Amino acid sequence: MKFQIEEVTVYFPYDNIYPEQYTYMVELKRALDAKGHCLLEMPTGTGKTIALLSLITSYALAKTESPIKLIYCTRTVHEMEKTLAELKFLHNYQVKHLGAAAKMLAIGLSSRKNLCVNPKVSSAENRDSVDAACRKLTASWVRSMAAENPNQPTCEFYENYDRAAGGAVLPAGVYTLEDLRAFGKEKGWCPYFLARHMVQFANVVVYSYQYLLDPKVAGIISKEMQKESVVVFDEAHNIDNVCIEALSVSVRRQTLEGAIRNISRIENEIDRFKDIDAGRLRAEYNRLVEGLALRGDLSASDAWLANPALPDDILRQAVPGNIRRAEHFLHVLRRLVQYLKVKLDTDKVEKESPVSFVASINSDAGIDQKALKFCYDRLHSLLMTLEITDTDEFLHIQTICDFATLVGTYARGFSIIIEPFDERMPLIPDPVLQLCCHDASLAIKPVFDRFQSVVITSGTLSPIDLYPRLLNFHPVVSRSFKMSLTRDCICPMVLTRGSDQLPVSTKFDMRSDPGVVRNYGKLLVEMVSIVPDGIVCFFVSYSYMDGIINSWNESGILKDIMQHKLVFIETQDVVETTLALDNYRRACDCGRGAVFFSVARGKVAEGIDFDRHYGRLVIMFGVPFQYTESKILRARLEYLRDTFQIKEGDFLTFDALIDVMNIELTDRNLNQRQAAQCVGRVIRSKADYGMMIFADKRYSRHDKRSKLPGWILSHLRDANLNLSTDMALHIAREFLRKMAQPYEKTGSTTGRKTLLSQEDVEKLGNNGAQEMLY
Amino acid sequence: MNNSEKKRMNGEAEEENEEDVEDEGRDAWERTYTDERSWEALEEDESGLLQPIDNKAIYHSQYRRRLQSLSAASAASRIQKGLIRFLCVVVDLSKAAGEMDFKPSRMAVIAKHVEAFIREFFDQNPLSQIGLVIIKDGVAQSLTELGGSPEAHIKALMVKLGCSGDSSLQNALELVHDTLHKIPSYGHREVLILYSALSTCDPGDIMETIQKCKKAKLRCSVIGLSAEMFVCKHLCQETGGSYMVALDEGHFKELLLEHAPPPPALAEFAIANLIKMGFPQRAAEGSIAICSCHREAKVGEGYICPRCKARVCELPTECRFCGLTLVSSPHLARSYHHLFPIEPFTEVSARQLELSRVASKTCFGCRESLLTPGTNKAGPCAACTKCKQYFCLDCDIYIHESLHNCPGCESRRITPAAASVTMS
Repeated sequence: MKFQIEEVTVYFPYDNIYPEQYTYMVELKRALDAKGHCLLEMPTGTGKTIALLSLITSYALAKTESPIKLIYCTRTVHEMEKTLAELKFLHNYQVKHLGAAAKMLAIGLSSRKNLCVNPKVSSAENRDSVDAACRKLTASWVRSMAAENPNQPTCEFYENYDRAAGGAVLPAGVYTLEDLRAFGKEKGWCPYFLARHMVQFANVVVYSYQYLLDPKVAGIISKEMQKESVVVFDEAHNIDNVCIEALSVSVRRQTLEGAIRNISRIENEIDRFKDIDAGRLRAEYNRLVEGLALRGDLSASDAWLANPALPDDILRQAVPGNIRRAEHFLHVLRRLVQYLKVKLDTDKVEKESPVSFVASINSDAGIDQKALKFCYDRLHSLLMTLEITDTDEFLHIQTICDFATLVGTYARGFSIIIEPFDERMPLIPDPVLQLCCHDASLAIKPVFDRFQSVVITSGTLSPIDLYPRLLNFHPVVSRSFKMSLTRDCICPMVLTRGSDQLPVSTKFDMRSDPGVVRNYGKLLVEMVSIVPDGIVCFFVSYSYMDGIINSWNESGILKDIMQHKLVFIETQDVVETTLALDNYRRACDCGRGAVFFSVARGKVAEGIDFDRHYGRLVIMFGVPFQYTESKILRARLEYLRDTFQIKEGDFLTFDALIDVMNIELTDRNLNQRQAAQCVGRVIRSKADYGMMIFADKRYSRHDKRSKLPGWILSHLRDANLNLSTDMALHIAREFLRKMAQPYEKTGSTTGRKTLLSQEDVEKLGNNGAQEMLY
Repeated sequence: MNNSEKKRMNGEAEEENEEDVEDEGRDAWERTYTDERSWEALEEDESGLLQPIDNKAIYHSQYRRRLQSLSAASAASRIQKGLIRFLCVVVDLSKAAGEMDFKPSRMAVIAKHVEAFIREFFDQNPLSQIGLVIIKDGVAQSLTELGGSPEAHIKALMVKLGCSGDSSLQNALELVHDTLHKIPSYGHREVLILYSALSTCDPGDIMETIQKCKKAKLRCSVIGLSAEMFVCKHLCQETGGSYMVALDEGHFKELLLEHAPPPPALAEFAIANLIKMGFPQRAAEGSIAICSCHREAKVGEGYICPRCKARVCELPTECRFCGLTLVSSPHLARSYHHLFPIEPFTEVSARQLELSRVASKTCFGCRESLLTPGTNKAGPCAACTKCKQYFCLDCDIYIHESLHNCPGCESRRITPAAASVTMS
């Protein structure tokens, strides 16, 4: 359908639209008009992605005088593919209605692992080794060597691409990763380099967060992006963690040992070069004198590392004299590694600020701050000079230099924590030195500064006012949208008491109480007997889950559960868990019914959809607070309190609930794998229903509850706030019966219109215009 | 049904006594009594006399809605209906059937309504046959073979009532498939599963069995007693059946009885084909013959197969010897109305009635006055769209649900000659 939002004609590829999608688009359009950043929360399953895409592309079509570029960031490759598929559908629709004028170029960019078509390279098992294998074939010196020696292997795809040079362009269209590979194969061009080249010209680029947030990658890929771009971070509820991770480094013993090996290898290489080609080293020295910014002679394929967040003005400075010569630099590195080794040999937990750390390096190892700051680039330059291609071997020394540069650059927002052992296992020595970033705004700041509009959107951004403070920006629009539903298809409940009316909680003093364990068990046993198909249970941690399953096993509760449903458990092993999930799905499909035990912060089951019958009920046992004794968390909380005046309790609750909500989200994640017919999918998604039980007495407190997103809160009735097991059981039974009834899809009879047709939208638009008049 | 309406009325009455009682927020024990708490719905008139409860209007509006939805579905296209049905009723008697959320237990409720259903079914589909299957202890067993005698089925079910063990949908489907797939192609193969359990414990891959049923053109419908199960939904979608979940006993009964009228025929069956049928003569009074069904000599009271002259006791049936289907003409006639249902009557407002030309203002069916007694105001009534005669609500229901003929149209049809005379 086609409709007007103010002066922009929006092309929406489906016949009907949800009212919340419409208002979402209106808000988004205002943000684009204002050329500012915005923060939008809308429940998953309401078609956020298509609303975003269709508004922004339509906006670009309407404003031809200042074309905007869309940079769409997703978390996973899977999401990227989904987004591109949606975009393709939208693009076909626009071309059908507008003809050639609507043509655009949209590409997805991913790592070599996902794009490489050279069978010799792409067979490598992980990302780093694919990168290294590629470099072995495409680095400039390898290629110049191949020019003289035909036996030197090169990548034919890259050669072809390079030969085509300016002629290597993608025709307009939407390219998924699969399309890119197919195109590359057909033409014989390397899809990875082609895509990287085309990023500058594309109207829409879809890639991972890292390409913008991780300064190492961003420098290469995203440098050329124009200012008139709209950056979208989808599923951005833990964007702050992504930012922090991008700037955090941890150093272990293995890292240091590896680094020492690396250093001696580099030394050998230097000696070898001195014999055969001393001129090269001298040329490098001269270049370093000129300054880092003049890396003119490096070709595109060689630019594989960039400086982590060095401000531009530093890049123009000359590299300090004491590390200009390769041997001197190696000495510095050796001293640094030695210093860190001594530091790691401690037996007590230490916490330091970067300033004092740098000072002590200076006095103990004789390395000044400026030298530290340039470590990363100096190493990079050295490796390049030495023509080292197997970069995956040199990860350890890169980590060390990364660390050095970050310590040398930032005096605030970081802390260095040395822990001699993991707190949960104090007997096993596993010393780790961590450089933790506390300030999420550091990594994202360049993005906010560079681009005209940044859109942060997700199913859960509540409380919405916390994000601007964490990321330190000023949104022009920040809104939360509710899902319009024809019926109350989600039924959240807060269970505070067990069947014996005693309170249940995973609070530290209560969690090992046998009464609580039994009550939780009873709850599950009762629930499996009345809920069909799949149930997902989330526990606060792996250790708690192990403990509780053990005691259930001993008391026979597990056996009772197994009479009704099969039990699957998430472990820390990816393969095992994938298998368990697969079988879980199968058990749900064939009607046997299944329970999946998972961990709220478990990384394995993250991002997995428990939609439809795969998750009729989600039980959250306890509140998944972060491990509050963790030094890193403590330090971060302290920093947040001092800098942003965010109370510790607030953040913890926020963080815990964000996590809970992610579960709910994955549960209600109704995104369809294939973009099928609109009405079909619309109705399919809204036809879904499910229950959530928050089993902890702390959820009934207002401060915890109020952090839940609005669309769940609105379904949480006061009567369901303080339930015991039997009451929850009763509600569940009624709810399931009610939801099993056939219902009116458009909601036109009940007076709650949830699906708008063309006329409805036009009417809305007119009303909106009138409202503005008066 | 009118239960919900009543419930609402009760709710209003109660609200005065208890402050926090909502319609739905009532305790479970209270709700079960709402149907019986009819004393609360009593009202007094001005003179202090108790007024009778008038559920008729509510009942009638419910009925009309149902009728409308039915006719809307069929009016869209002329749908062929399967009149000769072979229905397997699968009753789940696993442990879950012993649950007490239906009073006194799911099992008892199922038994009660299945009995009513079987009678209703044979009343509406005299040419059809039913077979009973139960699931118990993880296996399915055939209780009765396909047959046309309601009494035999009911008796067999009542004897076997008792629940234990797990439930297996696959076993049941396999058994039903074996029974039904040899039915000749003119018969409509249907399965109705009354499923209490929430899981199924199967020996193999149920998806294959579902595909097998689909291939054999079994129309599988499920009525769930607790909640929606994915596999049941999948089964019904694949085979073209309906999947419903009962809210309470009344709803369950309603859902069950919806299966009594014949469903629209599947597209594959839409080809018309001829079926050989015999219309046996009634045996002469006092004649003695050996009856083929009981294998003993009987006096009088029987029918003789027109082809092989064997004697059978009741109709409809299949001849034991030559396999001919034996029916009587009223049976056929009784099935006939499913093909040509009477269109629902339009409702007539009081004003229309008063303006109408019908001077007497009486019902065309029963000749009762259409005016409400005492007040002399026009009460609710309906009019046939074809003959434009007025009927009271009771007659409306009677005509649509039992008679299947409109007296107005029928009486007009007698005088086509007269009509043509006046025209010429």
